[in-house]
Amino acid sequence: MIELRNITKSFDKMKAVDNVSVTIRENTVFGLIGTNGAGKSTVLRMIAGVLEPEQGEIAIDGLPVFDNLDAKKKLYFIADEPYFFANCNAVDMQKYLTSVYPEFAVEDFYNYLVNFGLDKKRKVNTYSKGMKKQLALICGICSGAKYLLCDETFDGLDPVMRQGIKSIFASEMERRGMTPVIASHNLRELEDICDHVGLLHKGGVLLSKDLEDMKCNIQKIQCVFKTIEDEAKVISSLDIMKNEKRGSLNVLTVRGNKAEILAIFATANTVFFEALPLSLEEIFISETEVVGYDIKKLILG
Amino acid sequence: MISKSSFLVDMKENSKRRLWVLAVFALAFIVLFPTFTALVINRIISRSGWLFETYEKGRAGEILHERLISGMCSTIGVSRVMAVVTAGAAFISAVQGFSYLYSRKKTDFYMGMPIKRKRRFLNIWLNGILLYVVPYLTGLLISILIAAQSGAVDKTVIYEAATALYTNLLFYLCIYHMAVLAVMLTGNIIITGFGFMVFCLYEYVVRMVVVGYKNLFFRYFSSYGMEAEPILSPFFMFGHPLRLFIFALAVGILAYICYLKRPAEAAGKSMTFEITKPVVKVLLIVPTSLFAGLVIADAVGFYPHSSMEGIGYVLFTFAFVIVIGSALIQVIYEFDIKGALHKKSHIVISGVLTAFIFILFRYDLTGYDGYIPEQKNIESVAFIPDSYDMTWEGGTYFDSDGSYMTELEYADKYMQLNNVDDVCELAELSMKEYDQFLRRVEKEGYKEDQEEYWSYATLIYRLKSGRDVTRSVWVNVNNDKAVQLLDSVVGSEEFKKGYMQGASENLDHMLEQADAKRKISAVYGNGIYIKKMSENDAKDFLEVYRRDLALVNFSKIRECIPQAIFSLNIEENVLGSTYGTWQGISGSTRIHTVSVFIYPFYEESIAWLKEHGYYMNCQLNVEDVARVQVVNHNSAQRERLEEKQGTVSGAAADISDVYLNYDGQIDIYGDNEAVDTRVYADYTNQEEMERIVNCIYPDEIVYAYNWNGRRTYDKDYEVIVYFKADSELNREYGSYAYYYFLEEEIPDFVVEDTRYMSYR
Repeated sequence: MIELRNITKSFDKMKAVDNVSVTIRENTVFGLIGTNGAGKSTVLRMIAGVLEPEQGEIAIDGLPVFDNLDAKKKLYFIADEPYFFANCNAVDMQKYLTSVYPEFAVEDFYNYLVNFGLDKKRKVNTYSKGMKKQLALICGICSGAKYLLCDETFDGLDPVMRQGIKSIFASEMERRGMTPVIASHNLRELEDICDHVGLLHKGGVLLSKDLEDMKCNIQKIQCVFKTIEDEAKVISSLDIMKNEKRGSLNVLTVRGNKAEILAIFATANTVFFEALPLSLEEIFISETEVVGYDIKKLILG
Repeated sequence: MISKSSFLVDMKENSKRRLWVLAVFALAFIVLFPTFTALVINRIISRSGWLFETYEKGRAGEILHERLISGMCSTIGVSRVMAVVTAGAAFISAVQGFSYLYSRKKTDFYMGMPIKRKRRFLNIWLNGILLYVVPYLTGLLISILIAAQSGAVDKTVIYEAATALYTNLLFYLCIYHMAVLAVMLTGNIIITGFGFMVFCLYEYVVRMVVVGYKNLFFRYFSSYGMEAEPILSPFFMFGHPLRLFIFALAVGILAYICYLKRPAEAAGKSMTFEITKPVVKVLLIVPTSLFAGLVIADAVGFYPHSSMEGIGYVLFTFAFVIVIGSALIQVIYEFDIKGALHKKSHIVISGVLTAFIFILFRYDLTGYDGYIPEQKNIESVAFIPDSYDMTWEGGTYFDSDGSYMTELEYADKYMQLNNVDDVCELAELSMKEYDQFLRRVEKEGYKEDQEEYWSYATLIYRLKSGRDVTRSVWVNVNNDKAVQLLDSVVGSEEFKKGYMQGASENLDHMLEQADAKRKISAVYGNGIYIKKMSENDAKDFLEVYRRDLALVNFSKIRECIPQAIFSLNIEENVLGSTYGTWQGISGSTRIHTVSVFIYPFYEESIAWLKEHGYYMNCQLNVEDVARVQVVNHNSAQRERLEEKQGTVSGAAADISDVYLNYDGQIDIYGDNEAVDTRVYADYTNQEEMERIVNCIYPDEIVYAYNWNGRRTYDKDYEVIVYFKADSELNREYGSYAYYYFLEEEIPDFVVEDTRYMSYR
């Protein structure tokens, strides 16, 4: 488990991360989402032990991470622009990483290279941007590190590759309990990968929740009530996050269990009733609007 | 604990990232160095053919061997070239090794890896040293093997190689650590380069500024001791292994601490630590503005001893440099031109500090100028006249171990005057009188016929507290009281021991230790005729000379013209020595001459010289002279003529104004623009020539400057003596030589013959 407790980090007197507390559980895919400059990379770099927080503590399975070999062995950090040695090829990277990560899976590494169609003898500086990201991911996956920190790593990967990586993540999570932590500015990129999402904005955490919990606890209902009394009765019984009224049509975003909500609607007369599926985007919009943020501006652009 | 095997694996991995550096160093040390050695050996051997034609085989072989050894010593020993290569290698190695700290991509990668910071430092640091040591040692061994093939190796060569190895390694460590420290304090390579330059030059510039301002404002400032080599620059520690080691260790520890403290986010920034930014800025701006002020003061002729004219330019320079410099540094800090307008408080701080330092010197707030310590606090004093009673070759001093010293260093070490009160009184009297003189000059202007004759001296007060206070003083040697005090000071045994090299037993040691590497020859002469003296005679004569010297004082020497000169010529073989090569002495030998005047009142010396057949009873024997030509420049008349004609030049004619050119016959060219008042007179008559040669002196005896203010030669007259073709002088000096009359000792007929008559 990665625990961030009240961490703060400033650059040139500007707070990049302000009093952030997040817990990243094992064996989940944690998505760290936020706009550019929200502090995602800073958080990841602090988790990776690259940066030292000014305040607060970061613990990797209970161990402080900064300059701590035991904690760092559990991590592999893929920066937004992964670095590869000058004029090296994949084999050179494997040799280096094998010297640093004793549990580096050499056989898997070459298998993945073949599967992803990467030439192990080709110089990395001739790879495309996407290929470099693939290689960085393969390096991270094969390092044997428990926590794989990916900073914008999925940006620019085509859907087939993303699917491939997703399945590798799934198998590694199942096989050895790998925990990927993925930072991205694009919510849609994380939707099909993450189990848990932390939303960063202006250096602080707006929310951190399990996606399933969020999905189960928010419902979107479209309905037309027969009478005003029916409408008043249902609305007063629900925990309404948002109510859009277009003529007689009510579009309600309601917090709560789907069955309980349906039971409440059953007590009233409706001309039209429909429970709509919610996208991650809509869940975020609803959650953040509650706390006064316009998520469309923050993440979806 | 660091696992040994994994450490080596890390080292190996790190070295893979530094292959280009290894390739460059290998090329320099393993390829070029032995190649150069082979070329040197080949050159010596190929140019030795004449040895075997000139000498018998055995001797020729010995000479060749000596030359090969000497050549090898200078090739593989300590040298400037190797020092420059070492410094360059150290800088490259340090910057390349730690350059990952400049890049966020690289810091993210390396610092994200499970390697402890100190271990990464150790890996890179050690690799950086091995990158130099391994190729250098390999190249050195190959060079020695190549030399051994030609018999050019003996224990001297091995010793020189070992000395060079550890000296260069320590020097490398110093520069390497300085460069690592520069990397740690900065965030990109260009700023690192600037930082490294600042480390190398800062102390030098600060010292220069301090000396410059003391010199500018303090009348009695002495630069002695100020020219001491910077203590924080490894470039001045060559030949001092312990100092190099301590410097390397201290800077290395500092660099390591900075490495540990360095945040990863410093990558790409100008400076690593925010706190250093204003400090570095002010520390750069203040000396720079003061230095620029000095340059401008010199350019506009700002001389505060006589007037404050030009101070406006100096103050404007301060303001200009502070504003521009501060803006420039801020732009560098922020990598943004708009930064020029930020942090104006730094301009104010720099301005205040600069102004404070300037005022400190201008108004002598520390009471530096004219400071004379209280007599009760003084242990001993050294009074060091600037070239007092010195021959042309004066100023050559040797320490007890035979090493060369300057006049001031020698006196500093060997002169412990106990008559402190006389020296202090002389200093006080002289300063008071000199201050009055300058005030008078300021008021009335400078007059040619002034009564004072000012001579410069340095004073070193050694205080009981252990501190040394050094000041200069201008002594009016025409002041009776000053003469009385000088008789006491200069006449003392301590003064002679600490100033007159001839009085020192160091010369006896050198004579005793003369060998093939240091040859000493003794010569006695009067500037015209010379006689060689044997080593034993020289030792005996020195003893006798010292007895005469013990009896002289200031007044006695002042009133007399020397009769002869006794010289010891010391020829030292410096090829291959650390000193020689480092000092850049191109030839294989260094020659020094220690010489002393012999005065007519040195009775015991003259008696000894007569007894041993060295004495010369005349200046120049007329029997050797074929013709005499006298040139009178009539400079007073020329001045008057020029004034009358409105010519710009009003300076008195001086022999230095005259350019002599020998092209088959003698001719004297003056300034074509000036009025020519020179009159020539030729003498072949035996009687006239005899009268002239009895009055003339070589300028070695009567040269223009005498500290004690005694008479010198008359600058208006030159006497060109043509020697007879079969004379000894013709062989020694060529067909003619120049001589001079003493002031007021010119034969009447010569004055008449060379008078300028056209003047009305």
